[in-house]
Amino acid sequence: MTTLTRARAGFGTLPGWARSAIVVAVGVGLLAVTATLTGQIQLTSSGTTQAAVRLLLPILFAALGGLWAERAGVINIGLEGMMILGTWGAAWAGYQWGPYAAVVGGLVFGVLGGLLHAVATVSFGVNHIVSGVAITLLGLGVTKYLSTLLFLPVSGNPRQSPRVEGFETFSVQPLADALAAVEAQQRVVLSDVAGLLGGLLSGLTPLVVLGFVLVPASYLLLWRTSFGLRLRSCGENPVAAESLGVQVYLYKYIALIVSGALAGLGGAALTLNPGQLGYLEGQTGGRGYIGLAAMIFGNWRPGGLLAGSALFGYVDGVQLRAGGEAVHALLYGASILAVGLAVLWVLQRRWQTAAIALVAGAAVYAVYFSTETVPREFASYAPQIVTLLVLAVASQRLRPPAAIGMEYRRGEGD
Amino acid sequence: MTDYAVELTGITKRFPGVVANSDIHLAVRRGEVHALCGENGAGKSTLMKILYGIQQPDEGTIAVDGAQVRFRSPADAIRAGIGMVHQHFMLADNLTVAENILLGAEAQLGIGAKAKARITELARTVGLNARPDMLVERLGVADRQRVEIVKVLYRGARTIILDEPTAVLVPQEVDDLFATLRGMRAEGFTFLFISHKLDEVRAIADTITVIRRGACVGSADPGAVTSRQLAEMMVGSELPSPETRDSTVTDREVLRVTGLQLAADEGGRSLLADVDLVVHAGEVLGIAGVEGNGQTELVETIMGMRRATDGTITLSGTDITRAGTLARREAGIGYVPEDRTRYGLLATQPLWANRILGHQSRPPVARGGLIDREAARRDTRRIVEEFDVRTPGVDVAAAALSGGNQQKLIVGRELSGDPVLLIASHPTRGVDVGAQAGIWEVLRRARADGLAVLLISADLDELIGLSDTIKVMLRGRLVAAADPATVTPEELGAAMTGADGAAA
Repeated sequence: MTTLTRARAGFGTLPGWARSAIVVAVGVGLLAVTATLTGQIQLTSSGTTQAAVRLLLPILFAALGGLWAERAGVINIGLEGMMILGTWGAAWAGYQWGPYAAVVGGLVFGVLGGLLHAVATVSFGVNHIVSGVAITLLGLGVTKYLSTLLFLPVSGNPRQSPRVEGFETFSVQPLADALAAVEAQQRVVLSDVAGLLGGLLSGLTPLVVLGFVLVPASYLLLWRTSFGLRLRSCGENPVAAESLGVQVYLYKYIALIVSGALAGLGGAALTLNPGQLGYLEGQTGGRGYIGLAAMIFGNWRPGGLLAGSALFGYVDGVQLRAGGEAVHALLYGASILAVGLAVLWVLQRRWQTAAIALVAGAAVYAVYFSTETVPREFASYAPQIVTLLVLAVASQRLRPPAAIGMEYRRGEGD
Repeated sequence: MTDYAVELTGITKRFPGVVANSDIHLAVRRGEVHALCGENGAGKSTLMKILYGIQQPDEGTIAVDGAQVRFRSPADAIRAGIGMVHQHFMLADNLTVAENILLGAEAQLGIGAKAKARITELARTVGLNARPDMLVERLGVADRQRVEIVKVLYRGARTIILDEPTAVLVPQEVDDLFATLRGMRAEGFTFLFISHKLDEVRAIADTITVIRRGACVGSADPGAVTSRQLAEMMVGSELPSPETRDSTVTDREVLRVTGLQLAADEGGRSLLADVDLVVHAGEVLGIAGVEGNGQTELVETIMGMRRATDGTITLSGTDITRAGTLARREAGIGYVPEDRTRYGLLATQPLWANRILGHQSRPPVARGGLIDREAARRDTRRIVEEFDVRTPGVDVAAAALSGGNQQKLIVGRELSGDPVLLIASHPTRGVDVGAQAGIWEVLRRARADGLAVLLISADLDELIGLSDTIKVMLRGRLVAAADPATVTPEELGAAMTGADGAAA
């Protein structure tokens, strides 16, 4: 018991990257075990990972956008609207001048949304939620209008843009081929890991690379530079920041412009998605909100929001690639996870939580055992349900920026 | 170069409807502790905001080291070597000590090792023991204050404004702070010390300037003046004191708390342990203690805002341990919360709406489940009259009142509806001398009428003056009792920190 207690204390004192590595390793192990025991090899195939990466990318961008805005103290529920603007801007620039222009187009349109949010919330003190919802509605309306105006003559459909040329994909060689070879051998665990990793290293586009680079880049900028310190101070205690000569308005504007740009990139990522090249009305499907949820799940930290986006993208990828039966297999994995957590909590003497986890695990297992597959309708909705559940369970000890959502007026602090 | 670090000449500042400062002259010599005294609302804060560049004066000039300056923002004041430690700390809890200090001053030494080394060096100057990478939320009040001082020193301040620095400290911490200030004064730092605690002012200041209603009423030599004379300069009239000597204690129990336990949210030491106390009708029971030792939790448990883990609470013989907060209020508990702006009032709502809070189920403000606005207005006017709340009317927002008048309104509200028990948490914190006297008088009268009062206060003079019995709280337990007739603030302070070894 004492060694276990010490091990647990040791986990708490490990550096962040080591803890993340352990969590990732446990997750991969769990998937490998589930895939082996249920025979659902699609759970860990490189194809699934590739699909997951494609699907998580827009969410990751949105979540990063949320991170920037909320760290500066502005709730950005308008991410969805900025993303919609981004999809349109990317399609409009993309069908004329190619994929790089699409990225820029999405970014610029997203910035417009972010700037609007900044003017409303920072300069005019509009409630952040109201402004965010307004921007989402505005994004819907503006893109509809512009599509009818500019896309209808070219594509013949007011809800759709002409086809946009996508990025060439590339792989990290020779690593990707080697991993593919290992995956093909279908060895227990080894092939699963190779599949998951291989998917990350092949089928890449510049936008995917940009997304993954922006996670550590955001961390370094926000936590390791004086610029980031100032920006975060606006979200923690703007009155104190102002008293120290930080131009709170300026930093909030910068944060929201970056936030809009990131959401716009998320839109561009949707438009340039290999499965659906171009703008389509309603394409975002609430991914801006899901990005926001992923960021909250990630406790307003870059690494955490990456995990949140990955979770959502992965479940979405599984249901798209392999449908109901694979999602069904995930239930099995979930019950293993619940039992594992229950054991952990028993060791921590948190009896009540452990009991709840155990009961939940048993219930999930009962569902798994008594059904063959999950209905199609449920499967396609699985990512949202998983997000909801994970948020509800994991959001117990979150630490949002202290001054988030508060209206701040210059010179009114005491 | 002159002898004066700072000279304010003819400063006048008007706000719509009031003159906050009128023709104020203030000359602070280099290397002295200059105290600025005055009631709340006398204009001290406005004057300091002007000196620190937060607000601009309508008339008058500021000179620093003999050279005339114009501050458009705090940044200008900082550049001129003036720093301010605000009464409400300007710290972000979720940032580290170093981040709080470096924020806004990153250009000097960056945010890396060099800056941290400088912070460690300055921390030694002010006696701060926290590591630079600790989160501020883990620091106590005294350490936070030292972080604030390091913050201004890091920016090269030589003249430091301390806005009511002792309001949040216990006596021992005040002594430590003063020792630090004396040491720094010897190194040539100049301090502007704002306070209305006159004993402390006399202990630390080299010169005292008194402000009343926005105007200078004079200077005093701390060696020659008594606290009483100073206070009379501040209020311009005779002085109140919290003394209540003739006992009105009866043997009728109103509140009895037995074996009260409150477990911490996440394991760890329990917040309250084995608390037993009895308050009789006509008795004021004072609870002394360093903040954060369970007083807040005790009050919130008695009010039903927290659920006791174990133990019983009875009010006039009825067990209310499981009752809800509203039921307890209806049973006759009045509650003056410790932070009036956060828990006592709705700042943006009119006074009459604030009158209804906590009484929403009782006459006169409610009838048949509905709010009776007219009756609420009428009864608010009664409170305004009876408790001397200075306000233009009952329809103004609560935020428009000064702290003292807000507090008088709350006390008036809580004494409405014939309570049998009043829980008063820091009833005169941050209110001016006049309002303080008013509130003391109200409490005395209510006590004489047979009200039981549970008084929690950090102001030991108040506690000793008003209480019939004093109990000392330390780490969630009542560790000692003291007789207010004989105990001194120093003895109480020692018991509060556990420095006296055992129970007194």
